[in-house]
Amino acid sequence: MSVPLLFAVSILAGSVGAMSGMGGGVILVPALTLLGLDIRRAIAISIVSVIATSSGAASAYVRDHITNLKIGMFLEMFTMLGALLGASIAVVSEPRILFLVFGAVLLVSWATLWLQRKEEWHPAAPPDSFSRWLELDGVYRDRRLGCDVRYHAVRAWLGGPLMFGAGLVAGLLGIGAGALKVLIHDLVMGLPPKVSTTTSNLIIGVTALAGTSVYLRAGLVDPGLAAPVILGITVGAFVGTRVLVRLTNRTVRRVFLGVLAVLGVEMLLRGIRGG
Amino acid sequence: MTVRPAKHIDAASIIGLTLLVGVVSSLALIAIGLAWHWARWGTLELDYTLPATSVGGFVLADVRQLELGEVRPRLLVSLGIVVLLLTPWVRVLASMLYFAIVERNAKYTCFTAFVLALLTWSLLGSP
Repeated sequence: MSVPLLFAVSILAGSVGAMSGMGGGVILVPALTLLGLDIRRAIAISIVSVIATSSGAASAYVRDHITNLKIGMFLEMFTMLGALLGASIAVVSEPRILFLVFGAVLLVSWATLWLQRKEEWHPAAPPDSFSRWLELDGVYRDRRLGCDVRYHAVRAWLGGPLMFGAGLVAGLLGIGAGALKVLIHDLVMGLPPKVSTTTSNLIIGVTALAGTSVYLRAGLVDPGLAAPVILGITVGAFVGTRVLVRLTNRTVRRVFLGVLAVLGVEMLLRGIRGG
Repeated sequence: MTVRPAKHIDAASIIGLTLLVGVVSSLALIAIGLAWHWARWGTLELDYTLPATSVGGFVLADVRQLELGEVRPRLLVSLGIVVLLLTPWVRVLASMLYFAIVERNAKYTCFTAFVLALLTWSLLGSP
Protein backbone atom coordinates (compact mmCIF):
# COMPACT_ATOMS: atom_id res chain seq x y z
CA MET A 1 0.00 0.00 0.00
CA SER A 2 1.35 3.42 -0.96
CA VAL A 3 2.50 5.21 2.18
CA PRO A 4 2.01 8.79 0.89
CA LEU A 5 -1.59 7.86 0.02
CA LEU A 6 -2.06 6.30 3.45
CA PHE A 7 -0.66 9.45 5.03
CA ALA A 8 -3.01 11.67 3.01
CA VAL A 9 -6.06 9.56 3.87
CA SER A 10 -5.11 9.69 7.56
CA ILE A 11 -4.76 13.47 7.55
CA LEU A 12 -8.18 13.72 5.93
CA ALA A 13 -9.71 11.25 8.42
CA GLY A 14 -8.16 13.11 11.35
CA SER A 15 -9.36 16.55 10.27
CA VAL A 16 -12.86 15.48 9.21
CA GLY A 17 -13.15 13.42 12.40
CA ALA A 18 -12.17 16.37 14.55
CA MET A 19 -14.46 18.81 12.74
CA SER A 20 -17.50 16.57 12.74
CA GLY A 21 -16.90 15.56 16.36
CA MET A 22 -16.95 11.87 15.56
CA GLY A 23 -13.23 11.16 15.77
CA GLY A 24 -10.89 9.88 13.07
CA GLY A 25 -11.55 6.16 13.47
CA VAL A 26 -15.01 6.13 11.93
CA ILE A 27 -13.58 7.53 8.70
CA LEU A 28 -10.22 5.80 8.81
CA VAL A 29 -11.51 2.23 9.00
CA PRO A 30 -13.86 2.50 5.97
CA ALA A 31 -11.14 4.38 4.05
CA LEU A 32 -8.50 1.72 4.78
CA THR A 33 -10.84 -1.06 3.69
CA LEU A 34 -11.56 0.85 0.47
CA LEU A 35 -7.78 0.92 -0.09
CA GLY A 36 -7.89 -2.87 0.04
CA LEU A 37 -6.88 -3.60 3.64
CA ASP A 38 -8.57 -6.45 5.52
CA ILE A 39 -11.13 -4.91 7.90
CA ARG A 40 -9.59 -6.51 10.99
CA ARG A 41 -6.17 -5.09 10.13
CA ALA A 42 -7.78 -1.70 9.45
CA ILE A 43 -9.49 -1.82 12.86
CA ALA A 44 -6.20 -2.78 14.56
CA ILE A 45 -4.34 0.15 12.99
CA SER A 46 -7.19 2.53 13.75
CA ILE A 47 -7.34 1.65 17.44
CA VAL A 48 -3.61 2.35 17.84
CA SER A 49 -4.03 5.75 16.19
CA VAL A 50 -7.02 6.51 18.46
CA ILE A 51 -4.61 6.40 21.43
CA ALA A 52 -2.63 9.24 19.83
CA THR A 53 -5.53 11.52 18.92
CA SER A 54 -7.42 11.07 22.19
CA SER A 55 -4.32 11.47 24.38
CA GLY A 56 -3.25 14.54 22.45
CA ALA A 57 -6.64 16.20 22.86
CA ALA A 58 -6.99 15.03 26.48
CA SER A 59 -3.63 16.57 27.44
CA ALA A 60 -4.98 20.02 26.57
CA TYR A 61 -8.42 19.57 28.15
CA VAL A 62 -7.09 18.07 31.39
CA ARG A 63 -4.85 21.04 32.00
CA ASP A 64 -7.81 23.37 31.47
CA HIS A 65 -9.47 21.68 34.48
CA ILE A 66 -12.62 20.84 32.57
CA THR A 67 -12.09 17.08 32.50
CA ASN A 68 -13.45 15.36 35.60
CA LEU A 69 -10.74 12.92 36.61
CA LYS A 70 -12.87 10.97 39.10
CA ILE A 71 -15.70 10.44 36.65
CA GLY A 72 -13.08 9.38 34.10
CA MET A 73 -11.35 6.92 36.43
CA PHE A 74 -14.64 5.40 37.56
CA LEU A 75 -16.02 4.95 34.05
CA GLU A 76 -12.82 3.66 32.47
CA MET A 77 -13.03 0.54 34.64
CA PHE A 78 -16.09 -0.35 32.57
CA THR A 79 -14.94 0.82 29.14
CA MET A 80 -11.64 -1.05 29.50
CA LEU A 81 -13.38 -4.35 30.26
CA GLY A 82 -15.72 -3.70 27.35
CA ALA A 83 -12.82 -2.99 24.98
CA LEU A 84 -11.03 -6.21 25.96
CA LEU A 85 -14.17 -8.20 25.22
CA GLY A 86 -14.99 -6.27 22.02
CA ALA A 87 -11.50 -6.73 20.57
CA SER A 88 -11.50 -10.42 21.51
CA ILE A 89 -14.77 -10.82 19.57
CA ALA A 90 -13.42 -8.86 16.57
CA VAL A 91 -10.30 -11.00 16.09
CA VAL A 92 -12.43 -14.12 15.62
CA SER A 93 -15.28 -12.44 13.70
CA GLU A 94 -16.16 -12.82 10.05
CA PRO A 95 -15.30 -9.63 8.11
CA ARG A 96 -18.88 -9.29 6.89
CA ILE A 97 -20.21 -9.14 10.46
CA LEU A 98 -17.74 -6.37 11.23
CA PHE A 99 -18.82 -4.43 8.13
CA LEU A 100 -22.46 -4.71 9.18
CA VAL A 101 -21.88 -3.67 12.79
CA PHE A 102 -19.58 -0.86 11.71
CA GLY A 103 -22.14 0.50 9.27
CA ALA A 104 -24.91 0.32 11.86
CA VAL A 105 -22.86 2.06 14.58
CA LEU A 106 -21.78 4.73 12.12
CA LEU A 107 -25.36 5.51 11.16
CA VAL A 108 -26.55 5.57 14.78
CA SER A 109 -23.71 7.88 15.86
CA TRP A 110 -24.32 10.05 12.83
CA ALA A 111 -28.00 10.34 13.69
CA THR A 112 -27.25 11.42 17.25
CA LEU A 113 -24.92 14.13 15.95
CA TRP A 114 -27.41 15.22 13.34
CA LEU A 115 -30.19 15.50 15.87
CA GLN A 116 -27.91 17.01 18.49
CA ARG A 117 -29.94 19.04 20.88
CA LYS A 118 -28.93 22.64 21.24
CA GLU A 119 -30.67 23.11 24.56
CA GLU A 120 -28.88 24.79 27.38
CA TRP A 121 -27.61 22.45 30.03
CA HIS A 122 -29.43 22.44 33.35
CA PRO A 123 -28.13 20.92 36.56
CA ALA A 124 -29.50 17.41 37.04
CA ALA A 125 -31.73 16.28 39.90
CA PRO A 126 -30.04 15.80 43.28
CA PRO A 127 -27.46 13.01 43.10
CA ASP A 128 -28.39 9.52 44.24
CA SER A 129 -26.46 8.07 47.15
CA PHE A 130 -24.20 5.90 44.95
CA SER A 131 -23.11 8.85 42.78
CA ARG A 132 -22.53 10.86 45.95
CA TRP A 133 -20.45 8.06 47.44
CA LEU A 134 -18.35 8.12 44.25
CA GLU A 135 -17.71 11.86 44.70
CA LEU A 136 -18.79 12.53 41.11
CA ASP A 137 -19.13 16.28 41.23
CA GLY A 138 -17.07 19.22 40.12
CA VAL A 139 -16.79 22.77 39.00
CA TYR A 140 -15.31 24.29 35.87
CA ARG A 141 -14.84 27.75 34.50
CA ASP A 142 -17.07 28.53 31.52
CA ARG A 143 -15.19 31.14 29.52
CA ARG A 144 -18.18 32.06 27.38
CA LEU A 145 -20.48 32.65 30.35
CA GLY A 146 -17.61 34.03 32.41
CA CYS A 147 -18.61 32.12 35.53
CA ASP A 148 -17.96 28.91 37.42
CA VAL A 149 -20.36 26.07 36.62
CA ARG A 150 -21.03 23.55 39.39
CA TYR A 151 -22.36 20.13 38.47
CA HIS A 152 -22.75 16.60 39.76
CA ALA A 153 -23.29 13.28 38.06
CA VAL A 154 -26.41 11.18 38.61
CA ARG A 155 -27.27 7.52 37.91
CA ALA A 156 -23.66 6.29 38.06
CA TRP A 157 -25.07 2.80 38.68
CA LEU A 158 -26.52 2.89 35.17
CA GLY A 159 -23.79 4.97 33.49
CA GLY A 160 -21.07 2.47 34.44
CA PRO A 161 -22.63 -0.63 32.84
CA LEU A 162 -23.65 1.38 29.77
CA MET A 163 -20.06 2.50 29.39
CA PHE A 164 -19.12 -1.18 29.27
CA GLY A 165 -21.19 -1.29 26.08
CA ALA A 166 -19.48 1.82 24.67
CA GLY A 167 -16.09 0.23 25.42
CA LEU A 168 -17.20 -2.97 23.71
CA VAL A 169 -18.09 -1.07 20.53
CA ALA A 170 -14.76 0.80 20.70
CA GLY A 171 -12.76 -2.41 21.01
CA LEU A 172 -14.83 -4.25 18.42
CA LEU A 173 -14.59 -1.56 15.73
CA GLY A 174 -11.31 0.17 16.52
CA ILE A 175 -12.92 3.55 17.12
CA GLY A 176 -13.02 5.91 20.08
CA ALA A 177 -16.83 5.65 20.20
CA GLY A 178 -16.78 9.16 21.65
CA ALA A 179 -20.28 9.90 20.36
CA LEU A 180 -21.69 6.99 22.39
CA LYS A 181 -19.76 7.94 25.50
CA VAL A 182 -20.88 11.56 25.29
CA LEU A 183 -24.46 10.39 24.85
CA ILE A 184 -24.27 8.36 28.08
CA HIS A 185 -22.61 11.24 29.93
CA ASP A 186 -25.23 13.71 28.70
CA LEU A 187 -28.46 11.78 28.84
CA VAL A 188 -27.88 9.28 31.64
CA MET A 189 -25.44 11.00 33.97
CA GLY A 190 -26.56 14.60 33.41
CA LEU A 191 -23.10 16.06 32.85
CA PRO A 192 -22.56 19.44 31.14
CA PRO A 193 -21.54 18.98 27.45
CA LYS A 194 -18.02 20.35 27.95
CA VAL A 195 -17.32 18.02 30.83
CA SER A 196 -18.76 15.04 28.98
CA THR A 197 -16.73 15.52 25.78
CA THR A 198 -13.45 16.18 27.55
CA THR A 199 -13.89 13.37 30.07
CA SER A 200 -14.83 11.00 27.26
CA ASN A 201 -11.54 11.92 25.57
CA LEU A 202 -9.54 10.95 28.64
CA ILE A 203 -11.27 7.59 28.90
CA ILE A 204 -10.73 6.76 25.22
CA GLY A 205 -6.93 6.51 25.60
CA VAL A 206 -7.04 3.68 28.15
CA THR A 207 -9.93 1.98 26.35
CA ALA A 208 -8.05 2.00 23.05
CA LEU A 209 -4.89 0.66 24.69
CA ALA A 210 -6.80 -2.27 26.17
CA GLY A 211 -8.19 -3.03 22.71
CA THR A 212 -4.76 -2.62 21.09
CA SER A 213 -3.25 -5.24 23.41
CA VAL A 214 -5.69 -7.82 22.03
CA TYR A 215 -5.04 -6.91 18.36
CA LEU A 216 -1.28 -6.99 18.95
CA ARG A 217 -1.52 -10.47 20.44
CA ALA A 218 -3.51 -11.57 17.41
CA GLY A 219 -0.69 -10.30 15.16
CA LEU A 220 -3.01 -7.85 13.38
CA VAL A 221 -1.04 -4.63 14.02
CA ASP A 222 1.30 -3.78 11.14
CA PRO A 223 3.75 -1.11 12.42
CA GLY A 224 4.85 -0.21 8.87
CA LEU A 225 1.27 0.88 8.10
CA ALA A 226 0.40 2.08 11.61
CA ALA A 227 3.28 4.59 11.74
CA PRO A 228 2.19 6.88 8.88
CA VAL A 229 -1.44 6.56 10.01
CA ILE A 230 -0.62 7.64 13.59
CA LEU A 231 1.34 10.60 12.28
CA GLY A 232 -1.24 11.61 9.67
CA ILE A 233 -4.34 11.31 11.81
CA THR A 234 -2.82 13.33 14.66
CA VAL A 235 -1.67 16.09 12.30
CA GLY A 236 -5.14 16.04 10.73
CA ALA A 237 -6.92 16.23 14.09
CA PHE A 238 -4.71 19.12 15.16
CA VAL A 239 -5.39 21.02 11.95
CA GLY A 240 -9.08 20.14 12.17
CA THR A 241 -9.53 21.53 15.68
CA ARG A 242 -7.14 24.48 15.63
CA VAL A 243 -7.41 25.86 12.13
CA LEU A 244 -10.37 24.58 10.19
CA VAL A 245 -12.97 25.11 12.90
CA ARG A 246 -12.49 28.82 12.41
CA LEU A 247 -13.09 28.56 8.68
CA THR A 248 -16.09 26.32 8.89
CA ASN A 249 -19.74 26.79 9.73
CA ARG A 250 -22.84 24.71 10.21
CA THR A 251 -23.29 24.02 6.51
CA VAL A 252 -19.77 22.67 6.14
CA ARG A 253 -20.31 20.50 9.19
CA ARG A 254 -23.46 19.10 7.64
CA VAL A 255 -21.62 18.28 4.44
CA PHE A 256 -19.11 16.27 6.47
CA LEU A 257 -21.94 14.54 8.31
CA GLY A 258 -23.31 13.67 4.88
CA VAL A 259 -20.00 12.03 3.99
CA LEU A 260 -20.22 9.99 7.18
CA ALA A 261 -23.73 8.84 6.33
CA VAL A 262 -22.55 7.70 2.90
CA LEU A 263 -19.71 5.75 4.51
CA GLY A 264 -22.16 4.13 6.92
CA VAL A 265 -24.46 3.00 4.12
CA GLU A 266 -21.48 1.83 2.07
CA MET A 267 -20.18 -0.30 4.97
CA LEU A 268 -23.63 -1.82 5.47
CA LEU A 269 -23.91 -2.67 1.78
CA ARG A 270 -20.49 -4.30 1.76
CA GLY A 271 -21.52 -6.32 4.80
CA ILE A 272 -24.71 -7.45 3.06
CA ARG A 273 -22.76 -8.36 -0.09
CA GLY A 274 -20.40 -10.46 2.03
CA GLY A 275 -17.50 -8.11 2.88
CA MET B 1 -6.27 29.66 33.58
CA THR B 2 -7.07 27.40 36.51
CA VAL B 3 -10.23 27.47 38.53
CA ARG B 4 -8.94 26.03 41.73
CA PRO B 5 -6.07 27.61 43.61
CA ALA B 6 -2.87 25.70 42.80
CA LYS B 7 -2.37 22.95 45.34
CA HIS B 8 1.11 21.74 46.15
CA ILE B 9 0.68 19.00 43.51
CA ASP B 10 -2.06 19.24 40.93
CA ALA B 11 -3.34 15.96 39.44
CA ALA B 12 -4.58 17.59 36.25
CA SER B 13 -1.21 19.14 35.49
CA ILE B 14 0.66 15.89 36.09
CA ILE B 15 -1.75 13.91 33.92
CA GLY B 16 -1.85 16.56 31.20
CA LEU B 17 1.92 16.73 31.07
CA THR B 18 2.27 12.93 31.00
CA LEU B 19 -0.07 12.72 28.01
CA LEU B 20 1.55 15.64 26.20
CA VAL B 21 5.12 14.38 26.63
CA GLY B 22 4.06 10.85 25.65
CA VAL B 23 2.24 11.84 22.47
CA VAL B 24 4.75 14.45 21.31
CA SER B 25 7.79 12.20 21.83
CA SER B 26 6.00 9.31 20.16
CA LEU B 27 5.13 11.39 17.10
CA ALA B 28 8.67 12.81 16.96
CA LEU B 29 10.24 9.33 17.04
CA ILE B 30 7.91 8.09 14.30
CA ALA B 31 8.47 11.18 12.14
CA ILE B 32 12.27 11.03 12.50
CA GLY B 33 12.25 7.29 11.85
CA LEU B 34 10.18 7.66 8.68
CA ALA B 35 12.22 10.64 7.43
CA TRP B 36 15.47 8.75 8.07
CA HIS B 37 14.14 5.69 6.27
CA TRP B 38 13.14 7.85 3.32
CA ALA B 39 16.54 9.59 3.23
CA ARG B 40 18.38 6.29 3.30
CA TRP B 41 16.23 4.06 1.11
CA GLY B 42 14.26 6.61 -0.88
CA THR B 43 10.92 5.13 0.18
CA LEU B 44 8.53 5.47 3.08
CA GLU B 45 7.51 1.85 2.85
CA LEU B 46 8.83 0.09 5.90
CA ASP B 47 8.96 -3.63 5.49
CA TYR B 48 7.95 -4.15 9.06
CA THR B 49 5.47 -6.76 10.07
CA LEU B 50 5.14 -7.87 13.62
CA PRO B 51 4.53 -11.40 14.83
CA ALA B 52 1.73 -11.91 17.34
CA THR B 53 3.11 -10.46 20.54
CA SER B 54 2.10 -8.83 23.78
CA VAL B 55 2.83 -5.14 24.30
CA GLY B 56 5.40 -6.29 26.87
CA GLY B 57 7.13 -8.46 24.26
CA PHE B 58 7.07 -5.59 21.78
CA VAL B 59 8.73 -3.28 24.33
CA LEU B 60 11.35 -5.92 25.28
CA ALA B 61 12.33 -6.52 21.65
CA ASP B 62 12.94 -2.80 21.19
CA VAL B 63 14.93 -2.51 24.41
CA ARG B 64 17.15 -5.44 23.33
CA GLN B 65 17.85 -3.75 20.00
CA LEU B 66 18.69 -0.52 21.80
CA GLU B 67 21.12 -2.40 24.04
CA LEU B 68 22.84 -3.82 20.97
CA GLY B 69 23.20 -0.28 19.67
CA GLU B 70 21.22 -1.14 16.54
CA VAL B 71 19.65 2.26 16.04
CA ARG B 72 17.96 2.11 12.65
CA PRO B 73 14.97 3.95 11.16
CA ARG B 74 12.78 0.94 11.89
CA LEU B 75 13.76 0.94 15.55
CA LEU B 76 12.87 4.62 15.93
CA VAL B 77 9.42 4.04 14.41
CA SER B 78 8.97 1.03 16.65
CA LEU B 79 10.04 3.00 19.73
CA GLY B 80 7.56 5.71 18.76
CA ILE B 81 4.73 3.17 18.78
CA VAL B 82 5.98 1.72 22.08
CA VAL B 83 6.04 5.17 23.70
CA LEU B 84 2.49 5.75 22.44
CA LEU B 85 1.28 2.45 23.90
CA LEU B 86 2.89 3.16 27.26
CA THR B 87 1.45 6.68 27.52
CA PRO B 88 -2.05 5.77 28.83
CA TRP B 89 -0.47 3.16 31.12
CA VAL B 90 1.84 5.75 32.67
CA ARG B 91 -1.14 8.11 32.96
CA VAL B 92 -3.08 5.52 34.99
CA LEU B 93 -0.01 4.84 37.14
CA ALA B 94 0.42 8.58 37.80
CA SER B 95 -3.28 8.89 38.70
CA MET B 96 -3.06 5.99 41.13
CA LEU B 97 0.01 7.46 42.85
CA TYR B 98 -1.75 10.81 43.05
CA PHE B 99 -4.88 9.37 44.67
CA ALA B 100 -2.76 7.23 47.05
CA ILE B 101 -0.12 9.74 48.10
CA VAL B 102 -1.46 13.25 47.62
CA GLU B 103 -5.21 12.91 47.99
CA ARG B 104 -5.09 9.82 50.24
CA ASN B 105 -8.37 8.70 48.74
CA ALA B 106 -8.65 4.95 49.34
CA LYS B 107 -11.70 4.54 47.08
CA TYR B 108 -10.08 6.05 44.01
CA THR B 109 -6.72 4.45 44.75
CA CYS B 110 -8.56 1.11 44.52
CA PHE B 111 -10.36 2.07 41.28
CA THR B 112 -7.16 3.20 39.55
CA ALA B 113 -5.26 0.19 40.94
CA PHE B 114 -7.90 -2.08 39.39
CA VAL B 115 -7.55 -0.33 36.01
CA LEU B 116 -3.75 -0.48 36.27
CA ALA B 117 -3.73 -4.18 37.21
CA LEU B 118 -6.08 -5.18 34.40
CA LEU B 119 -4.24 -3.01 31.88
CA THR B 120 -0.87 -4.45 32.96
CA TRP B 121 -2.25 -7.96 32.68
CA SER B 122 -3.55 -7.26 29.18
CA LEU B 123 -0.25 -5.69 28.13
CA LEU B 124 1.88 -8.57 29.42
CA GLY B 125 -0.40 -11.50 28.57
CA SER B 126 1.02 -14.11 26.22
CA PRO B 127 -0.38 -14.42 22.67
